[in-house]
Amino acid sequence: MAVVVAVAPEQRVFVASQWQLMWWRFRKHKLAVASGVVVLGFYLVVLGADFLAYADPDVSEAQRSLMPPQRVYWFDGWQFGPYVHGFKGARDPQTFKRVYVADPSVKVPIRFFAEGFEYRFLGLIPTTRHLIGVDGGLDASQTIFLLGTDVQGRDLWSRLMYGTRISLTIGLLGVTASLVLGVVLGGLSGFYGGVTDTIIQRTIEILRSIPTIPLWMGLAAALPRDWSILQVYFAITIIISLLGWTELARVVRGRFLAMREEDFVVSARLVGCTELRTIFVHMVPSFMSHIIAATTLALPAMIISETSLSFLGLGLRPPAISWGVLLQQAQNVQTVAISPWLMLPALPVIVAVMAFNFLGDGLRDAADPYGR
Amino acid sequence: MSQVRRTPRNRTLRSRLTVALVLGALTVAVAAVALAQGKNALIGKLEGPEVVTDAAKIPKAFKEAPQLAELVKAGKLPPVAERIGQDPLVIKPLKEIGKYGGTWRAGFTGPADFWNGFRCCSGPDHLMFWDYTGDKVMPNLARGLEMQDGGKTWLLQLRRGMKWSDGKPFTADDFVFWFEDVYRNKDLVPTPSATLAINGKQGVIEKADTYTVRYRFPEAYYMFPDVLAGSTDLAGQMFGYRAMGGFAPAHYMKQFHPKYAGQAEVDKKAKDEKFDSWVRLFLAKNDWARNPDLPVLSAWKTVTPINTPTWTLERNPYSVFVDTAGNQLPYIDKVVLTLAENLEVINLRAIAGEYDYASRHMDLGKLPVFIENQVKGNYKVYLDPGDYGGDMIIKFNLNYDADPEIARWFNTADFRRALSLGVDRDQINETFWLGTGTPGSVVPVDSNKYNPGPQYRKLWSTLDVKKANEMLDKLGLGKKDAQGYRLRADGKGRLRIEIMTLGGQFVQYTQIAEMIREQWKKIGIDLQVQEVERSLALKRTEANEQQLGAWNNDGSEHLFTFPLHVFPFELAAVASSGPLYVKWFHSAGAQGKEPEPRMKELMEKWKKAFGVPEKERIQLGKDIWKIAAEEVYIIGVVGMGPASMGVRVVKNNMGNIPSRQYNSPDGKTPGISRPATFFWKN
Amino acid sequence: MLAYIGRRVLLAIFTVWAISVLSFVIIQLPPGDYVTSYIAQMASSGSVVSEEEAQALRLQYGLGQPIYVQYAKWMRQVLVGNFGMSMEWRRPVTDVIGERLWLTIAVSVAALLLTWVLALPIGIYSAVRQYSAGDYLATFIGFIGLAVPNFLLALVILYLGFILFNAHIGGLFSPEFQDAAWSGARAWDLLKHLPIPALILGLAGTAQQIRIMRANLLDELRKPYVVTARSKGLSEVRVILRYPVRVALNPFASTIGYTLPYIVSGSIIVSLVLGLPTVGPLLLKALIAQDMFLAGTIVLMLGVMTVIGTLVSDILLVWVDPRIRLEET
Repeated sequence: MAVVVAVAPEQRVFVASQWQLMWWRFRKHKLAVASGVVVLGFYLVVLGADFLAYADPDVSEAQRSLMPPQRVYWFDGWQFGPYVHGFKGARDPQTFKRVYVADPSVKVPIRFFAEGFEYRFLGLIPTTRHLIGVDGGLDASQTIFLLGTDVQGRDLWSRLMYGTRISLTIGLLGVTASLVLGVVLGGLSGFYGGVTDTIIQRTIEILRSIPTIPLWMGLAAALPRDWSILQVYFAITIIISLLGWTELARVVRGRFLAMREEDFVVSARLVGCTELRTIFVHMVPSFMSHIIAATTLALPAMIISETSLSFLGLGLRPPAISWGVLLQQAQNVQTVAISPWLMLPALPVIVAVMAFNFLGDGLRDAADPYGR
Repeated sequence: MSQVRRTPRNRTLRSRLTVALVLGALTVAVAAVALAQGKNALIGKLEGPEVVTDAAKIPKAFKEAPQLAELVKAGKLPPVAERIGQDPLVIKPLKEIGKYGGTWRAGFTGPADFWNGFRCCSGPDHLMFWDYTGDKVMPNLARGLEMQDGGKTWLLQLRRGMKWSDGKPFTADDFVFWFEDVYRNKDLVPTPSATLAINGKQGVIEKADTYTVRYRFPEAYYMFPDVLAGSTDLAGQMFGYRAMGGFAPAHYMKQFHPKYAGQAEVDKKAKDEKFDSWVRLFLAKNDWARNPDLPVLSAWKTVTPINTPTWTLERNPYSVFVDTAGNQLPYIDKVVLTLAENLEVINLRAIAGEYDYASRHMDLGKLPVFIENQVKGNYKVYLDPGDYGGDMIIKFNLNYDADPEIARWFNTADFRRALSLGVDRDQINETFWLGTGTPGSVVPVDSNKYNPGPQYRKLWSTLDVKKANEMLDKLGLGKKDAQGYRLRADGKGRLRIEIMTLGGQFVQYTQIAEMIREQWKKIGIDLQVQEVERSLALKRTEANEQQLGAWNNDGSEHLFTFPLHVFPFELAAVASSGPLYVKWFHSAGAQGKEPEPRMKELMEKWKKAFGVPEKERIQLGKDIWKIAAEEVYIIGVVGMGPASMGVRVVKNNMGNIPSRQYNSPDGKTPGISRPATFFWKN
Repeated sequence: MLAYIGRRVLLAIFTVWAISVLSFVIIQLPPGDYVTSYIAQMASSGSVVSEEEAQALRLQYGLGQPIYVQYAKWMRQVLVGNFGMSMEWRRPVTDVIGERLWLTIAVSVAALLLTWVLALPIGIYSAVRQYSAGDYLATFIGFIGLAVPNFLLALVILYLGFILFNAHIGGLFSPEFQDAAWSGARAWDLLKHLPIPALILGLAGTAQQIRIMRANLLDELRKPYVVTARSKGLSEVRVILRYPVRVALNPFASTIGYTLPYIVSGSIIVSLVLGLPTVGPLLLKALIAQDMFLAGTIVLMLGVMTVIGTLVSDILLVWVDPRIRLEET
């Protein structure tokens, strides 16, 4: 496919910066581009979780326990005016299931930019406005449950928004920590070689030889259990990253080794560039793209790790909300049998993992514009 | 076009009608069932088999399972009458005389799940045991228990001719061996058991004659029959794995004891079997669930041990249990417990009808799924609510001292009461008990002999946000912050209280605590929920670091033999009302902290009860529960529910199944219903 | 070549030693020890273990000694093939692991085979038709296994299996074969139970394999010999299958060494949900109960498998492809 670049008639190919070349190349991987948009969407949710949520994720109500997702009616007669029906619920004394029946005589209109619980938008601006809501805000007797409710009658949609925030920031923080470790150690390894290289390479090999799950479990179990949610959150991020850096370090090292012999690096050195200038002006930009790709590819592993740790009971614990916590609460027979909507949080996990993977693949393919 | 647009309206009309119909039907159904059943269709009448003590009704001739008869014919086994002895333990089956044969399939979760087998299959092998109500002590393996010397001496009569499962006689020597060589051996039992002591003074066990054992105590020990009946250190072979039990098969265990076999010999045996020491070897050999060679007295005996993928138990040919027709029990040949790697699998297998009888590990949250699959799995679901007042309780640590402000409030009765008034128990009952529990204080079920009266169930235990707020205001907690939370009286910000919960239990303590956190917002209390793991919970209660602790008070319906959730009694507890009070109590005031007057009164009444006759004891028991309910040392949330092992799934063709049974660790449920009388109808 | 192998073997031995130390340390990391968790377990069922009893227990298990003493003691035993006693199961560790190890390997091999069956064609297709709709669809399918939380998937399949097909719940054997001696019938019963766990586990690994295959093949496809072959008028299928795929398979096959232990470790979660009698659930319980020797042995075992697997595949690769040997030495 390198042919494409060579036969392109426009002069701009030859004067384009490396980043431009990458972009052109990246654009060709349609799935990657689409994934990029999805990923962007996810991070918008991270920023605006409390704006997108319309109910306090902690408020419970027994009379709304295990309500299935509500049907939204988009048009009220002729006009666009989304609404849901009111509902009544009771426990069936024979089956012990909670039964809900929509009451079509009660229309609960969905309002945009409605009043709801108080929060700080982007952590700064105190407000009570949410993307959607119902008239009467917190005091309304009938309200909306787009994705239904959990056992405690808490709104799943709102919990999912908060869970997304936590899980994706964990992923991002974890990947950043991995990145720092990977770049520093991989860089040292590739730059100095010799004993340093051997020691670091051995460490990587050993870490990779220990099955991941016991390693997580050992580390997670070793956390002081009286830590607050926030402390556990950070600790888990670090644990996940402690195991995630090895791959990045390999990539960095490999790049370093390969590039030291590249013509442009040798020329830079011959022209009399200092060591630092050679590394930061000529080498780093070149392998930055690889690092970004590798980082993107490391994120799904972080997300999966977070959910798996929660499943094992070693990750974030209940008062906290994360994808892992939500899935762990859905990990039971009664959910599969009578309240399957509680498994919906698996959907964003799947979408995010795939989006990051495709994005990462696209970036990796693009990272080497003259390569393939 | 217009056609298309009209359709939704039609649908709306139709669905409106449907809704009205469905809701109407629902309401009628709820009302009808509520009227007919009083409460709930799955909770039946308490019933169970009975032990026959009337000499006239004891059968004279005995029958046995066909395969045992074969062995007798082949000369490999003595005749059944010889095996049972002169004094059989006669049980009148709940409904009918059963048939021999078949296998009972169930599940277990691993070597830590040994209670599972004891509950189903030990007989139960207690010396004395409860009748099916769990209230009255009846003779069991022992023929009788006679009080002498004003409660200081007790004579236990054994059954003449009764045998261990290897055919060797069961006599007073087995008690003396246990007492002298096991219990008093410092390596085997480093700390003497409290059950063999009254007021901290140890008693002794002696042989009166071959079939009579004498227990002597320095002071009157009126509670002794209850101790032998309950799941205590003296009750049976269950606690053999930690050298307890009150007796042990002397003829078998002597070969592992240095006194009889010689130190060099037992050391060698330990080494051969890869044990670290002779003590570990001895304990392993004395383990009912682990050692298939151990002679036992239970109805079934272990064939493949608990530390293998299948824990199998087979009928004990020397079982002393018989039915009223003289058939040697058990009816069912074999019990097969298969290892399930996790609780969801065990529940799903029960749902699929792969187990014949299961109640342990069954999750109340799955009740609708159990019911839904009743026909497909050919089983019926029963609920066995407990008799204790709290499937979930919240203990205030009265000794908490890391924060004087919190310590002060925890020791203020009105503060504790206000918090209890702030709990919306109906919400919790509906959500987590599916409405099957009873909201209220910590006191046991109304029919319990120690219950102080129905008004104590509601005392300080109904939702009253207004009153709670008034009480808290009056205490000097009237100031609130911007979010509506009360401020500390010492001016150091918001009054934050922590509750410690355990995950992965029968009751979802963490989730319930989260709900209470929301409810307490309305009374301005900021509750922080901390889920911890078991070992840590223990460490924190012992170190006096717990503020509030969530747990249940199962067993507390027998408050004298199971007091640890009534007042601070054990240091090693997952939730504590005051570790310093525990020390004070057990050191007779030498250590720890002297309790406040009413707590002290409660403790003294409890202590006194062991040395007084039953009638007086019952009054003391009522007084204790009165104090507990009035002072709210422990908040009762929801109780008398089936959350803990109370969801029972039984095959339709299994006979002698009670519609409701006493559910408690003390009753070794289903042991209380005598599984030896369960049988296959076809 | 011999020198290279010798060096690699020495390094592998060092790695194994390091793993043994690390696994021992990891297991010791959580606060408390087996006795603590035992006391806690007793306490939550209402029984009480006194301080003296706890001390006696620690003495019997040798838990009072410093870590390095315990490690040395354990290593001395391990070197003569005695992995110690499991504290919770109170049986020799080797007995407890016993059959579970073989079942674990059976499940993992089945998963691996499935992975290949899926990954090879998808990998080839998406390399040849890069960026086509088919490429996207194929990779999408391949990646779903990676993305779906496999514990949830396993539970759903377990439940559906019961509802739709009345399948036996979990495990690897029907109840009647649970304890039976090995026989043709039992092996057949095992085979019947393998597809579901293999599918769930195999799907999770497919994405990685697709990636490797696709990248390898893409590299090969750009080589001049492919262009030559094509220009000579060979059919496209022949061009691709004849050489590039075969060459691309080399490094692909070499992943077998470490893929297997990787699947074994990955199978812990799925085994737990499906109730498979493999080492996974055993390890989890051992870690929670702080059953040191049992957990240590399993971790060590998995580590050794990975090291040997990597070693074998590296040596194989060098043997097959001399260019690598030059590079490395």
